[in-house]
Amino acid sequence: MAKKNKAPLVRKRRQRQEVSAFGPLFFTGLAAVGFISWQVAVLVAFGLVPTIVLAFTGKGSNKSLRLQCVTFANLSGVIAFIPQVWSRPSQLEAIMTDPINLVMMWGSASIGYMLIYVGPIVATHILQGMAQDKIKQIAQQRQTLVEAWGPDVLGDKEQEPAPNHIRLKKS
Amino acid sequence: MSGENAPVPDSQSAFGDRFEVVTSQPLAEFSTYGGDAYTVNDKEKSGGEYYALVHNPTVPVRNEIYKSLTGKPIANLVCPVDRGLMNLVFDGRKRQRLVTIFSRPSGGALMDNSGNLNPRITASHLRQNVTLSVLKSITSLHKRGFVHRSIMPTNIYFASPNSDEVVLGECYSMPPGYMQPFAMEALPLALADPTSRGAGDASADYFQMGAALQALYFGEQLWNGRDRGSTLMARVNQGSFWALSGGREVPGALGALIRGVMADEVDERWGAEEVLDWFEGVGKPKRTTMRTWAMSRPTTFKGVAVVDRRLLADAFARDPKEAAAFLKSIDFSSWVQLSFRDEVLSERLENMINVKPDSGFGGVRADDYKMVARVCMFLHPHGPVNYKGYSFYLDGLSSMIAEAFSRDDREAISAIVEVMDIKFLQTLNDICDPHSKVIDQQIPYLRKFIEHASSKQLGRGMERVLYEMNSILPCLSQRFSNVWIGSIIQLMRALERIAIIGATRNILLDRHLAAFCATHGTDLEREFNALATAQHNPSKFNSLSMDFFGILQKRCNMEPLPHLTGKLVDGLSSAVKELKNKKRRERVQGLLEKGKKGGDITKLTSEVNMVRAQVEDAREFAQARTLIARLERERTKLSRKISPSDPDAQLKGMKGARLVAFVSGLLISFLTFF
Repeated sequence: MAKKNKAPLVRKRRQRQEVSAFGPLFFTGLAAVGFISWQVAVLVAFGLVPTIVLAFTGKGSNKSLRLQCVTFANLSGVIAFIPQVWSRPSQLEAIMTDPINLVMMWGSASIGYMLIYVGPIVATHILQGMAQDKIKQIAQQRQTLVEAWGPDVLGDKEQEPAPNHIRLKKS
Repeated sequence: MSGENAPVPDSQSAFGDRFEVVTSQPLAEFSTYGGDAYTVNDKEKSGGEYYALVHNPTVPVRNEIYKSLTGKPIANLVCPVDRGLMNLVFDGRKRQRLVTIFSRPSGGALMDNSGNLNPRITASHLRQNVTLSVLKSITSLHKRGFVHRSIMPTNIYFASPNSDEVVLGECYSMPPGYMQPFAMEALPLALADPTSRGAGDASADYFQMGAALQALYFGEQLWNGRDRGSTLMARVNQGSFWALSGGREVPGALGALIRGVMADEVDERWGAEEVLDWFEGVGKPKRTTMRTWAMSRPTTFKGVAVVDRRLLADAFARDPKEAAAFLKSIDFSSWVQLSFRDEVLSERLENMINVKPDSGFGGVRADDYKMVARVCMFLHPHGPVNYKGYSFYLDGLSSMIAEAFSRDDREAISAIVEVMDIKFLQTLNDICDPHSKVIDQQIPYLRKFIEHASSKQLGRGMERVLYEMNSILPCLSQRFSNVWIGSIIQLMRALERIAIIGATRNILLDRHLAAFCATHGTDLEREFNALATAQHNPSKFNSLSMDFFGILQKRCNMEPLPHLTGKLVDGLSSAVKELKNKKRRERVQGLLEKGKKGGDITKLTSEVNMVRAQVEDAREFAQARTLIARLERERTKLSRKISPSDPDAQLKGMKGARLVAFVSGLLISFLTFF
């Protein structure tokens, strides 16, 4: 009798999408700014292109954090030009076509990306340092307990697994 | 468990200082099963003639008689004068024993232990002096609510060498009827084993008086050289008077008296009134009849045709296995109808007797012995309880148990345990109820012991029953074979002396000692329950033992017991070593060492609650182990290498990056707009 290979029933859990309020907030803010000065709104929309791209294409874990980080960095590059367009709306085109300005606006977004890359590395070093301190504290606590209760408090040594090289191989 | 024997105290008691027992001069004529008699000298008062009875620890004395007679002695009766513990040397070995001093009749026994009659005895002596003196003494005893039950020709003495006055020997050193010859006991009582005949009644004393007079008249030990079976057969068939005399008549008035007091039927037996009438010569000779115990037709059991119900009950009792097989082989109700035509065997009674026919599986079942006991009770309702070859009256159980323990007879003890079943006793009572109330009177008394009998728990069991029933009995533990332990104080002092020479470890596991303590100390059940549960945990047991002795020392207001305290503290060393917490261990050790010197166990236990310390230590140790395990887990977790791709590092890094971006954005905004 042929065995019918049945695939195990695995209930696939739909991955929960990270819900971001970026889109609604962005467009609402842009509309508000555009209501006062459409030139400023255009500048902001143009300057935040890297952020918009990330908002629509970004995937993976911590998407929201990454987007916030890039947004803040990108905004830092765009904000510097807002007073110029506000006071002289006619210069909008000149500002937007100047390559240096473009580098400044879009480059600031790349600083955001850089921060995203560097942040975990820095955090790793900080966490490692903190762990070492904590290990020292634990060792002290453990030593205090052993002094008060004797080595028995560490448990049955025989129950600890034998080193790998003397462990019996399972047939 | 240490087997050290308690040494005898170094100093003599005040009683021992006053009286000097000359162990080299035994007085066989005054010795009883309860003790050996010796010459004694009173160092304080001269003139009185006394003898000392060194009691046998395994035979319970009749304490109530001692109290009554020392307060108000009875004339013509050997009365106790004083008693106390004394250190004596026997065979070069020093022992502490209970010694009772009795007033000593110096005229010699009417018949010595070899059967030689005192040459001063004549028939007229018997008629005038002996009868009257014995009558006086036993009626005085009966008035006080006691019976003598040891009236033997060897236990009646001339008061002095020159006087005709006769005194009856003592009856305090052993239970009523204890080890009396079969021939010298009244019939229903004689059927029981010699150690368990019970108190009986006044009429049994009159029977013994008659039997003693008969023996003195013939100048023979009528009880000697006769086997029980043939004597019983003769007594049942001819009557006790004729059976003992061997068909010889006692002529004259003395004969009438002896026949009257030796009547086998209690209703016909002479009492004090009839004997006094006889003295005054107004009593009419009373013919004794023999109540019929005969069955309608004989029953052949073990090849012997038996007609008398009492004989058949006794034959069944002597061989219960054969009896069970016999009963199972017959149709019981038909047998009863044919053998007892005058009796109607009601369905209720038949159900109570419950004779089951042979199921074909062979062998004697435990229940078969009970079946035989029920049938015996049906056949002879006035007779003793017959179970597994033992015959006893329920009020004689106390002395029977004491005797069984003295021989360490486990078979007898287990048989008694089986009998101490309220349902079984109630059935026996229901069977004999219309004829006899003996069991009915004893059931309420036995009920309080039944709960202990079958228990295996420390401080209970048959040892507890032994001491509860015989409150005067000393502790029979092997450790105390050299000393007499009659109270908790004496027990504690003996333990103190044991502690000087050896170890007292696990001493409370001694069942005799535990039962003695439980009987003589009140409200110790909880302590014994705790000790019983800790039997297999030596360190906890030692801790509880110390608490236990502390309670006893406090209750008895005892002096310091430094050696016992020392041994108890030494016994705790393993418990102290087992304490895991170093600080607690050092503190407890310090307190124990300090308290050890004082000898006050109560104070020590109040300062060091070892049981609580052990519990706390175990609990805190478990908590410490849990904490260590948690720390280990945390350490393992923290020890692993963290990489930037770790989710935690990612999260924290990005949050940091976001913060940096936000702050820089704020800074640039500030610089731009302001």
